[in-house]
Amino acid sequence: MLPDNPDFSDVQGGSSSSAPPPAAQTYTVKAGDSLSKIAKQLYGDANKWRTIYQANTDRIKNPDLIHPGQVLTIPPA
Amino acid sequence: MIVHARRWSMVVATLAGAAVACKKAPPPPPAAPPPAAVPVSVSGVSLGKAVGADKSVAQAVTTFGTKDTIYASVATTGTSASATLTAVWTFQTGQVVKTDSQSIAPTGPAHTEFHISKPSGWPVGKYKVSVALNGAPAGAQDFEVKR
Repeated sequence: MLPDNPDFSDVQGGSSSSAPPPAAQTYTVKAGDSLSKIAKQLYGDANKWRTIYQANTDRIKNPDLIHPGQVLTIPPA
Repeated sequence: MIVHARRWSMVVATLAGAAVACKKAPPPPPAAPPPAAVPVSVSGVSLGKAVGADKSVAQAVTTFGTKDTIYASVATTGTSASATLTAVWTFQTGQVVKTDSQSIAPTGPAHTEFHISKPSGWPVGKYKVSVALNGAPAGAQDFEVKR
């Protein structure tokens, strides 16, 4: 008898493609933006805000504080 | 006088010939416009136990063993400067097993593979992989894990 919700915490996964990856994009911060909001808009996943933060640590000192007009590098998802 | 007239007729004939020779060739027909870029779309999702160098599944299967690595190869056509494929693997209860995304910039037909493995072994049962392109559902495949 299987449990209703088996434990999948040890599942490993990955992906690759025969298509080339997109070039890094840039995004200009607008009023009201946050990293998670930008991640949701560009990646479809707000939890990927850290990906944007890590690509912009030279420009963002505090991930909770970004400024309108800042140009951020948006790495491929 | 007759000789003079003949000379004139030769001059006129020569000039007429030169005019014909110098006539500009008609312009070539305009070149066919380049084919319009076809936006990327998913053309199929195949499951297998391995993928080749081109990321396609050589032998499609829908039944796996508990220790198998499961591959889903997503075929796309068209082009895009940036597109995101997402694969969501779910168990029969709806429980999400794994989610992965891959960003691509295809310039033509391409394959993108997603794979999952579970060192402790897959629970037997029915599973599904659902594929989204830029957040929109684009395909799905059911499969089963048996002992």
